[in-house]
Amino acid sequence: MTRTYALHAPRRPSRVRPYGITRGRTAADRFLGVERLISTVEFDPQRVLGMLPETAAVYEACRYPRTIAELATGLALPLGVIRVLVGDLAAVGRVRIHPPAADIPDRHLLERVLRGLDNL
Amino acid sequence: MRKILIVGAGQAGLQLAHGLLLAGGYEVTVMSQRPASEIRHGRVTSTQCMFGAALEMERRALGVDLWSAAGSGHRIDGLGVSVPGPDAAPAINWLGQLSQYAQSVDQRLKMAAWLELFAERGGTVVINAATVSDLDHLAALYDLVIVAAGKGDIVELFDRDAERSPYSAPQRSLAVAYVHAVRPREEHPDTSAVRFNLIPTVGELIVIPALTTSGTCDILFWEGIPGGPIDTFDQVADDPAAHLAHTLELIRRFAPWEYERCAEAELTDPGATLAGRYAPVVRHPIAALPSGRLALGIADVVVANDPITGQGSNNASRAADTYLAAILAHGDRPYDQAFMQATFDSYWARVAVCTAWTNAMLAPPPPHVLDILGAAGQHQDVADRFANGFSAPDDFADWLLDPIKASTYLAAVTAR
Repeated sequence: MTRTYALHAPRRPSRVRPYGITRGRTAADRFLGVERLISTVEFDPQRVLGMLPETAAVYEACRYPRTIAELATGLALPLGVIRVLVGDLAAVGRVRIHPPAADIPDRHLLERVLRGLDNL
Repeated sequence: MRKILIVGAGQAGLQLAHGLLLAGGYEVTVMSQRPASEIRHGRVTSTQCMFGAALEMERRALGVDLWSAAGSGHRIDGLGVSVPGPDAAPAINWLGQLSQYAQSVDQRLKMAAWLELFAERGGTVVINAATVSDLDHLAALYDLVIVAAGKGDIVELFDRDAERSPYSAPQRSLAVAYVHAVRPREEHPDTSAVRFNLIPTVGELIVIPALTTSGTCDILFWEGIPGGPIDTFDQVADDPAAHLAHTLELIRRFAPWEYERCAEAELTDPGATLAGRYAPVVRHPIAALPSGRLALGIADVVVANDPITGQGSNNASRAADTYLAAILAHGDRPYDQAFMQATFDSYWARVAVCTAWTNAMLAPPPPHVLDILGAAGQHQDVADRFANGFSAPDDFADWLLDPIKASTYLAAVTAR
């Protein structure tokens, strides 16, 4: 009896594990739009001591949830810098990046984003 | 841990980022203008054909080959040249054999996967269209900032090096279509080969077997002399179907020997076409930011050649390889201006001949080049040497770029 084999069996490189792919996809796709809310996780003043001044400023500001736009305005830093600092803090669990707003964001949030953008 | 920021998620930026991550001891951040999923499902951004040496460098840096020839079914084993004659058949028509296979993986596929793998391996990815102001602030937070994004405002931070840039205007209009259903050339049905069709006074049609998100495909790539009959893709802008129809009509008219196998071509996806032009340029490698801090350019930020010789991605790989070695060898010393200049100088030493060759290909061929193209049809050694020069272009300095050495070599070959 003849056996046949699929010419290109679906496979993925063995060193890339499934959970890893998920993490990679998440991080490589995570765009922090100006409306994304960021909040500090369990603020601890001791932690500020070891941080760069800009990082510490984001960590402190986000004790009250802030949008990316508000952080850029409030700290007078370009959006790209805020995205880097938030990414670094989120990677070590110091801040939480809220999920993207639902299809219809609430009016209050939109007004805050608008104000933040106006002030950039 | 030394902190390195790489702005740009293309061949050079991501190859270098992976190389540093695998070497260990570096905190590497890649800033990409677009998220991986947008890169993967967006419009094509490039043509590419990476030859053996450049593929080896990227595999070494990545530590993995995501599109091995065996796994992907994609490899390129030959490089052919055709030049039209008085009738429909080409007067020059030959195929050189590559000693190592080449590959053309659509950068949408490759860069999306490399960016995801980089994040998975612990690298930091930031999605952001970098501004000068971003870089200026970030340069204070990182030990080294490398600019690997060949397009956009920040490239303007790097001044043109007039001495090394013979052209100030685009030398070709570029029109690209990724297509399925192109057959191999009839005369070599079993060899997957990139084909250079040189049409004097008109331009070049380059056909590159490739791998895209929907599997193996071919790239139909017209390079048109400005103002000539190929430089007419403006009239089909934003209409991919019309772009393909125009591509095929120009093939039928100027490279009829290629038409039959392309006649049933279908676009691989709605984003499969691209048209544009740019002036080849060499730039000074160090940008001074408003604060006085420095950023180092890499690959096509500093050396952007016309794609006529298919060397862009190869040079990006050579650049990443050079910069990786320089950074690793530098240990914990500061990445100062002297380091940046020396790093670029080592890169330039590797691509100066390639740049001269690419610029020479944009001009009408001198007699000794025509002699070589003719002789390659009679002597397989000449065809093979020409083909393998795409992997190691320095060899061209010893014959193709030098009339005297060229005639000495041809005399030796024909005397055999």
